[in-house]
Amino acid sequence: MSRVLMLIAIAFGNALRGIRRASTTSLLAVLTIAVVLVLVGSAALLVENMSGLLDEFGAELQVTAYLEPGLPAEAQRELAERVGSAPGVEAVLLVDEAAALARFERIAGGAELLAGLEENPLPASIEVRLRADARTAESLAVLTDSLEGLPGIAELAQGQEWIEGYARAVALARGIATGIGIVLGLAALLIVANTIRLAVYARRDELDILALVGASRTFVRVPFLLEGTIQGLLGGLVALLVVWGAYELLLPQVRFGLELVLGRAELHFFTTVESVRLVLAGAGLGLLGSMTALVGAGSET
Amino acid sequence: MRLYHVSKSYMAGQYALHDVSLEVRRGEFVFLTGPSGAGKTTLMELIFAAEQPSEGQILVLGRNVARIGAGAIPALRRRVGVVFQDFKLLQDRTVEENVRLALDVIGTPRREARARVFQMLKSVGLQHRRFHHPLSLSGGEQQRVALARALVNEPEILLADEPTGNLDPELTIEIMDLIVSASTRGTTVIVATHDHGLIDRYGKRVLRLENGRVVEDHPAASSSIGASA
Ligand SMILES: Nc1ncnc2c1ncn2[C@@H]1O[C@H](COP(=O)(O)OP(=O)(O)O)[C@@H](O)[C@H]1O
Ligand SMILES: [Mg+2]
Repeated sequence: MSRVLMLIAIAFGNALRGIRRASTTSLLAVLTIAVVLVLVGSAALLVENMSGLLDEFGAELQVTAYLEPGLPAEAQRELAERVGSAPGVEAVLLVDEAAALARFERIAGGAELLAGLEENPLPASIEVRLRADARTAESLAVLTDSLEGLPGIAELAQGQEWIEGYARAVALARGIATGIGIVLGLAALLIVANTIRLAVYARRDELDILALVGASRTFVRVPFLLEGTIQGLLGGLVALLVVWGAYELLLPQVRFGLELVLGRAELHFFTTVESVRLVLAGAGLGLLGSMTALVGAGSET
Repeated sequence: MRLYHVSKSYMAGQYALHDVSLEVRRGEFVFLTGPSGAGKTTLMELIFAAEQPSEGQILVLGRNVARIGAGAIPALRRRVGVVFQDFKLLQDRTVEENVRLALDVIGTPRREARARVFQMLKSVGLQHRRFHHPLSLSGGEQQRVALARALVNEPEILLADEPTGNLDPELTIEIMDLIVSASTRGTTVIVATHDHGLIDRYGKRVLRLENGRVVEDHPAASSSIGASA
């Protein structure tokens, strides 16, 4: 057991020695990974916040059916019951003309706006809350289809188009971010691979000597894999710091605009798990890069 | 150690070694001699599996190294110490670290490794130099470091390819005495050299190669023969 630990310690020692010896190229590899992960990380953060908003809007999603004016109260209640049994509906709330006026006065802060009018201009409405599983574009369409034909309903209002457009934007952003992430990731991989290949080349005398004294393939290779992994890990940490710094510095600047557009500015940073994942993505890039390098340098190692 | 009809050809029609058969017994000391290009280095490379023979079989420590898989080579090398004319030391490591390399590759715990390296360096008279770097040492000292690295793992076989080729006569004797003393402790030793003075001085078995063939096999003046190594 102590031999295994010793071998691990030696492998780490050799990896760190390698990084120290080629500090400039190592730094470049770290920075490359960091830049790539900053871009990918910010994109991920953006997409995630967008889809977070989407979920929230989805939760608030409801359909409002405005009723034809002059419908008697009894007919309104019957209609509300029928709507309540439509597919995907969780609950309905009947808001008659008087309730609508009361609500308007409460929101608008007084009756002055409507004071000059003899009649209450606000229509009665049925507010439909959707079940969680029905908060999708498809079931929304099914519901509106079934409501549209009902006598007594003048107009249906819902946020569907808006949400659908936003969902499309999120999907597009996700797709673009993924695509760019893959391309940049590959570029980072090649740069790490090149760094490790240079390291192998710089240490070929050492590798010859190691082979002479009976070093196993693993003994020779693991330090290079560690070297790439450590570079990736550092790159991931730098990226996390940069994204976090940018988030903390930039968010206050745009908070007002966000509030205006979205009605709120409760954006969130990566969770701990997501942060760890970003750093591990760096380590993974480094490991893959060094594996690529060793495949290329098969005879030396 | 046994070679059966071993040939090695790097280029078609040209043999670096041609139909060589020989046996070296455990604990035996053999000088390998012959003009430059005779095949001495090639023979050693075959023994520690740096090269594969074109024909024939090579038995080393009970293994047929003519057919050894890449995965089994490290285990073989840990039992075969090698020393070269150009020392092959790492310039960015201390003397101690260079010698320790042979123990590091098998994961010897650091405390034990340092103790063994110290003892080994002491036996070649370099314990006081253990924290120096090779470049600050003389050629003779560097070869003693290389020898210490080859022997620290207590190998059963020591191969030395012109180990004194870069050294002046006085240092040559110093190194050879150390190699001979390794053999008296039971290590099988093969030394390639074309230094006739050296060969005459020690009176050991002499294998003479020419154009890849064994042209002379002269037994030691006084031989102590054991099992085949
Ligand atoms: N790697 C090689 N590629 C091609 N030819 C080689 C190689 N190594 C040795 N030779 C040839 O094999 C022959 C024996 O070389 P070598 O074993 O080095 O002899 P020695 O060590 O006795 O001087 C020489 O003709 C040499 O040119
Ligand atoms: Mg030679």
